[in-house]
Amino acid sequence: MARSWYITTGVALLLGLSCAASAVERFPPPEFETGYELPSPTTPAPPHDAYEYVDAAVLLAALGVSSYLVLKMRSRRAIFALTVFSLLYFGFWRKGCVCPIGAIQNVVLSISDPSYAVPVVVALFFLLPLIFTLFFGRVFCAGVCPLGAIQDLVLLRPVSVPNWLENALRLLAYVYLGGAILFAATGSAFIICQYDPFVAFFRLSGNLNILVLGSSLLLISVFIGRPYCRFLCPYGVILRQLSRLSKWKVTITPDECVHCRLCEDSCPFGAIREPTADWSLRDYVIGKKRLAFLMVLLPVLILAGGWAGSKMKNVTARMHRTVRLAERVYLEDAGQAEGTTDASSAFRATGKPTEELYAEASDIRARLERGGWLFGGFVGLVIGLQLIGLSVRRQRTDYEADRASCLACGRCFEYCPKEHARRKNSRKMV
Amino acid sequence: MKSEHNDISPHNQAMHPWYDTAVATVIVSGAFSVVIFALLAANHFQRSVADAKREEQLENLKTTLRSQPDNQQLISQIRQLDLQIRQHRIRRHDFSRKGAYLLLASVVTFLVATKCAATFRKKLPEPQLQPDRRDEQFREAKYARWAVATGLVMLGFAALLLAFMPAIDFSAGGAAVASYPSDEEINKNWPSFRGPGGLGVSAYTNIPASWNGKTGEGILWKTELPLPGHNSPVVWGDRVFISGADPNNREVYCFDALSGTLLWTGAVGDPVSSGAEPIEVMEDTGYAAPTVVTDGRRVCAIFATGDIGCFDFKGNRVWIRSLGIPDSAYGYASSLAVYRNLVVVQYDQASAEDGKSKVIALDFFSGRTVWQTNRPVGGSWSSPIVAEIESKPQIITCGDPWVIAYDPANGAERWRVKCLSGDIAPSPIYAGGLILVVEPDYKLVAIRPQGRGDITDTAIAWSVEDIVPSICSPVSDGELIYLLTSDGLLCCHRLSDGTKLWEKELERNFLASPSIVGDRLYLLSEKGVMFILQVGVEYKELTRCELGEPCFASPAFGNGRIYIRATEHLYCIGK
Repeated sequence: MARSWYITTGVALLLGLSCAASAVERFPPPEFETGYELPSPTTPAPPHDAYEYVDAAVLLAALGVSSYLVLKMRSRRAIFALTVFSLLYFGFWRKGCVCPIGAIQNVVLSISDPSYAVPVVVALFFLLPLIFTLFFGRVFCAGVCPLGAIQDLVLLRPVSVPNWLENALRLLAYVYLGGAILFAATGSAFIICQYDPFVAFFRLSGNLNILVLGSSLLLISVFIGRPYCRFLCPYGVILRQLSRLSKWKVTITPDECVHCRLCEDSCPFGAIREPTADWSLRDYVIGKKRLAFLMVLLPVLILAGGWAGSKMKNVTARMHRTVRLAERVYLEDAGQAEGTTDASSAFRATGKPTEELYAEASDIRARLERGGWLFGGFVGLVIGLQLIGLSVRRQRTDYEADRASCLACGRCFEYCPKEHARRKNSRKMV
Repeated sequence: MKSEHNDISPHNQAMHPWYDTAVATVIVSGAFSVVIFALLAANHFQRSVADAKREEQLENLKTTLRSQPDNQQLISQIRQLDLQIRQHRIRRHDFSRKGAYLLLASVVTFLVATKCAATFRKKLPEPQLQPDRRDEQFREAKYARWAVATGLVMLGFAALLLAFMPAIDFSAGGAAVASYPSDEEINKNWPSFRGPGGLGVSAYTNIPASWNGKTGEGILWKTELPLPGHNSPVVWGDRVFISGADPNNREVYCFDALSGTLLWTGAVGDPVSSGAEPIEVMEDTGYAAPTVVTDGRRVCAIFATGDIGCFDFKGNRVWIRSLGIPDSAYGYASSLAVYRNLVVVQYDQASAEDGKSKVIALDFFSGRTVWQTNRPVGGSWSSPIVAEIESKPQIITCGDPWVIAYDPANGAERWRVKCLSGDIAPSPIYAGGLILVVEPDYKLVAIRPQGRGDITDTAIAWSVEDIVPSICSPVSDGELIYLLTSDGLLCCHRLSDGTKLWEKELERNFLASPSIVGDRLYLLSEKGVMFILQVGVEYKELTRCELGEPCFASPAFGNGRIYIRATEHLYCIGK
């Protein structure tokens, strides 16, 4: 049977699933006065803390199992099984929340706003994968993250992304991380949660725009391995850097590399690096000059980025509801907007002077301006360092999994003849 | 991009024993998923098409119900249809939910089977001999640097685009555009019934004192009014607003104050259908007795049907709603008042025992009810005023038997005084620190507006039982009070103690309330004759001006102009 048929059908079914998810609707309340009195709204009791601690315990266990499967057992099948479990538990059962990716924002807000206390479980969700990454590499991405899992499962016909494109697209994740920190720190928005592309699938319900975004990413995931993880995930950016420092790392071969090249195309995420060729003297001189130029360029990029980031304050501030409200009220007052919104009506009902609202909005803009300097500077720094990184001479003698990019999925293991030998020996020993 | 060559189908390898099973699972789960998807799509289509028709039908029935509120058969029909729609929705929603779970399960099965089938067909890669990779590695690094540099340029371009997008400058615009007009703006205009504060006192003194409607002398313009009404004009800048209604239509009109051109007409509510019975009101009241109100940004009008609508200055309908048909013996006539962003509606009706009366504050921007407070009074025809008393605003209302003050912020009652009875039509005024109210044909009462709760025993400064008006509201210059009865008796009282200083029989009938402009008193008779008198402790008539057309509404005053609504025309008098 033609594989294209599978893919086409799979894509159609995924889209169908998203349509079904969007079909959930809400009832308007009855308009008749039937004598029935609507009960007073009550605040439901929060879910028991125990569930959250169970989640944290499951996360800890899953990370431990993942580390074992990736580094010790080296079994793709077992990692796949863990991926399915994580998708079912953290995704469909726990509805994709709490997740370490979104927890970045809680942690950032708790740092910038002393009145905001980050819940212990959220802190655990944020820290545990980081700690495990420091020791074992990206074992969280390997089989614990539900967002990675759902993309991994629909990967049917992987095509490799050229290295140049991969490097350029990766910038998006840094911008996303910077933006998420900026908006969380200023109390504007939790954009990672707001634009979580897969949570609508986990909950079988959600905003149509997000469903379209999620469907598009899943559609891309059929051909491009984990596009969200590689090009967008803000938590992945942190994990990339920590993974470079990890005590233990994923290796393609359990022994010495024999340069058989069987593994070179096995990674759907483009994380396998081939041995590097030697540089000629001419290349070395040119490379040195380029590196010097980029080193000089780095502070310029940081400053220019900071300046541009600060100048975007009027737009970035719109992520804050108070600024949106102030702009809406302003436009309504100026007769440039028709009707009112729920928010503007509620504001007007308070009788609060608009001048106060405008002053608050101006204050938030000022905060975004200051934050914009840091955000833009960060983006400039990332781009500068990436350019430097691409100009530095690397020395590699074997085929290796890139420490930063490797998602520890274990696909490459079975392509290594040494791994097969190891497994054979293990079986003999058993 | 290149396809992974290790996924190419095998040619010399034996097929995995589970391969056929995986393919069969793919086919079955795929077909099952397609069927479920088709059923869900059909369900979705039926919900959005078939149910939409039913909902439209329901809306039409509801619209009909507005004109036939007592039609029990119609009510029953609407209830039945509403129930049907809800039952259908619940069924479809349930179907959709279950279908989504089934589809999810079948898609998962499909994906797992597809991956298994693909895995079973996999063969080991066969790498070809590779030439020297040095040049290619350099080229890749170069392309990557250029790609990152391109990304940098694109991000920079996007950042500059965002940085220079137009934005609202709150520091400059906040003062220029406020949500509600300032006191200065209000005093320059005539935003509601009897002008700023409902006092009937003009801030201008350059008002004409001579004209003749028959010869056209002093008449700047005269424009025919499309529909009748007894409401007064209101003026804001170069706009004059007025409303008109007949049994079937309710409209708001905006005129150009300079030329009298009708700029736009705004319809409030749907026209009453020919089969429906219009509500009955007294001819003397009509369907458009309440005066409209404006905050300088929008204009709002209420009618005898309880329909209330708001328009912006360009004539765009901002909102419209129905407060329900008021149970009013002569027809609803209370004019609207404005406080900041609130439209204040005194919705008195029926008797006090019926408990139907209330004062409602609507958001000028959305028409939503910000607050409403029940009133222990029966129907009245008096209009509310908003008075700034000791730097705090109070909404003052008159009804039978209470004069009640409310806090405009939340509608909470501040104080009440029991001093009225009968059909209350004259509106209160605030002058010299006193609230002045009139019990028709019986007494004039002055209230000190301080205290909380029922202050009847302590707050009445003085009360004068004399010949007082039944319709026209009083007017005061801060020292003297003028009362004008409908049959033309003009009385002057001292504000400080209520002592009557003089009275004069004008031998005309009056429905319009008196106004003060500088040191002159303007009295507009039913026949359209304006009596202009000297304000003072003695009666002194200065002149009379004929309009030549009957007038029932109080005039509005602008800068050097008077706007008078006659029965057929709107007049602008000036130099």
